[in-house]
Amino acid sequence: MRQSRRQFLATATTGLAGILATKIPPAIGQQREISYLCWANFAPASDKKLGEIGQRFTKDTGIKIRIDHIAAPQQAAKYASEVQTQAGHDLIEMRMHVPWLYEPQLIDLSDIVADLEKKYGKVIGSGYEAAHVKGVWRAVPQYHAVFVSAYREDLFKKAGLKAPQTWEDLYKVGIELKKMGNPIGIPISQNFDSISTGSAIMWCYGAKEVDTDGKTVKINAPQTVEVIEWYKKVYRDCMEAEVLSWSDASNNESLQQGKAGWIHNPVSAYIVARDQKLITADGINHHQSLSGPAGRHDTDAPRSIGIWKFSKNIEPAKEWIRYLLGKREVYDEYIMSGSAFNLPAYTKLQDHPVLKTDPKLAVLKGEGVNYHTYGWPAPASDKVQLITNSFILPNMLAKAVTGTSTKDSIAWAENEMKKIVAAG
Amino acid sequence: MAISDLELAHPVRRTGFRPRLREMLDRESFLGPLFISPALLLIALLVAYPFGMAIYLALSNAFIGRPSTFIGLRNFINLWDNDTFRQTFQNAFVFTGISVAFKLVLGVSLALLLNEALWFKRLIRGAVLLPWVIPTALSTLGWWWMFNSLYSVVNWTGIAMGLLDPPGPNWLGQKYYAMAAVVLVNIWRGLPFFAITILAGLVAIPKDLYEAAETDGAGAGRRFWYVTLPLLKPVLAIVVLFSTIFTFSEFNIVYVLTHGGPINATHLFATLSRQIGLESGRIGEGAAISLYLFPVLMFVVWAQLRFVRRQAN
Repeated sequence: MRQSRRQFLATATTGLAGILATKIPPAIGQQREISYLCWANFAPASDKKLGEIGQRFTKDTGIKIRIDHIAAPQQAAKYASEVQTQAGHDLIEMRMHVPWLYEPQLIDLSDIVADLEKKYGKVIGSGYEAAHVKGVWRAVPQYHAVFVSAYREDLFKKAGLKAPQTWEDLYKVGIELKKMGNPIGIPISQNFDSISTGSAIMWCYGAKEVDTDGKTVKINAPQTVEVIEWYKKVYRDCMEAEVLSWSDASNNESLQQGKAGWIHNPVSAYIVARDQKLITADGINHHQSLSGPAGRHDTDAPRSIGIWKFSKNIEPAKEWIRYLLGKREVYDEYIMSGSAFNLPAYTKLQDHPVLKTDPKLAVLKGEGVNYHTYGWPAPASDKVQLITNSFILPNMLAKAVTGTSTKDSIAWAENEMKKIVAAG
Repeated sequence: MAISDLELAHPVRRTGFRPRLREMLDRESFLGPLFISPALLLIALLVAYPFGMAIYLALSNAFIGRPSTFIGLRNFINLWDNDTFRQTFQNAFVFTGISVAFKLVLGVSLALLLNEALWFKRLIRGAVLLPWVIPTALSTLGWWWMFNSLYSVVNWTGIAMGLLDPPGPNWLGQKYYAMAAVVLVNIWRGLPFFAITILAGLVAIPKDLYEAAETDGAGAGRRFWYVTLPLLKPVLAIVVLFSTIFTFSEFNIVYVLTHGGPINATHLFATLSRQIGLESGRIGEGAAISLYLFPVLMFVVWAQLRFVRRQAN
């Protein structure tokens, strides 16, 4: 049927007015579509796998999914802008305590977590600390990445060095490594790896940022002085000044490119070296995390998936989480693709087949389950996340190793932390 | 007497919509605002609204995603107690002062060179604009590779030529080097703007003034000092004004190269504002940081424009 231009305009205008008035799109435009924002994983194969699973999800459910990846340092600002504008993705992948920071903006996902716990056992401690906010699961634990010691086993053997057991041992080994031109690589800059390593060392020496009450700042203590003195000597005798400018990827690159002899990192540095067939891959291995006077502690970095309250696609978004994490075969497939960088966040899955895929990953068995998230032993809170996002710990360490007195560095950090804890 | 004056003196009453519309369109008092209104609307939407929001947020204790209350100027006052902010304040003046001074001197020199009869004049003039044309984030990423501690081509070249001792300077990890690096990239990026604008000013200077000066026995130096520089003053004032504002509000270069580090040594207002306002969620405080220099810059704009107007008169 031919329509005149006038008839077409009249029909189109009436239809548009109807859609705008009722806010219901026509049936033809009702295909369900969700969007998912995640970081660019340090195990790139798992991002590729996520895309494949997304395509299968669309085929199986008819729900279209758009998966966007951004670099880890940009995540915090991106979440903030989405919350502020109340627009953006439906689902977001969050690291550490971000669910605490955005608690009022995230929907309750306790029903999904309850189903997953029935299948896979309880969520591991760090996942619980990160996403279980004031009695409600504000995000669904997805996986966690544990920090271990990654080192050039070939160089250690050549120089007759033994893998260190304690942070003090590392100092002694580090002196030799630096002489060989393969210094230790611990970042002391504004990035997350600096906080991960700094926190682990603090805990091993019995130091803490905030007390168990979550209110009293405890960084000004003799244990912190010990930590700073350790950092000062390691910076001077075992490292190069480059660590002050490093990003999260720099220590990985330094080990992969054959410079660093030892780094504190998840297994991603090795995985990338192996997958890209770098000449250093054969020489890299891992050993257990280090201990100090107060025992062996290390950092765990759990990640979880949340859904914004402003999302208009809450049910389809929940369906995606159930598809990715609730189907054992899909979850296994996803975990396997990360080559043990992404470890399952549920207790019954800890002895996962991914740990048997490469003998160099065997050290991870049993690691991480009792590790801590940032801010420990203070309970998880938005304040802890703010202290993290303000990079107070690495800046305190950087001040100390570049000439500020230990006392002044600690006093500065104490003041900054007190301001955050005191704020309403 | 103009026709419009005649019409004003003896207005003819028109009836009907079209004649009345035509009559209104003839009136400057109606047509002027009509023409300017789309631009005004755009400014209101894209400039006035965000600016108003920034002021509103800066006067509140706004935290991302939570209700906020009005706290007056407390954010601005509290910022002075913050070490990082005071450091940023100092950084901004050092960064802007050094960058603008270098861009001015080098810009004038480059413009004088480009004004000479060169071979491939157009090609060279086009090439000079490249740093200004390439997206800053992309070009700065190139510089980041050049300064990167592991891959630095600057250090590699210096060491290979025997000019530097291994491992060479830690460009992005030590505060003075890091500031030098961000200043250098800012100069590299901003120089074409100075050079091309000043070149336009140079081209506009009448040749006979130089001929007259030459006849009077003035050498190249005197011709520059007594002819070129005085006639370039209005152009230089405008270029310096714009550059000062752009440089104070620089973001990309610092964000890509140093993220404000090491230990906040290169933070500028924009990068600190992002860190506090978006990454840490204290958006009220972040807005206050970004607006801190607004009164100062307003004064600079007023003073510079006044100077330009005086020169023009």
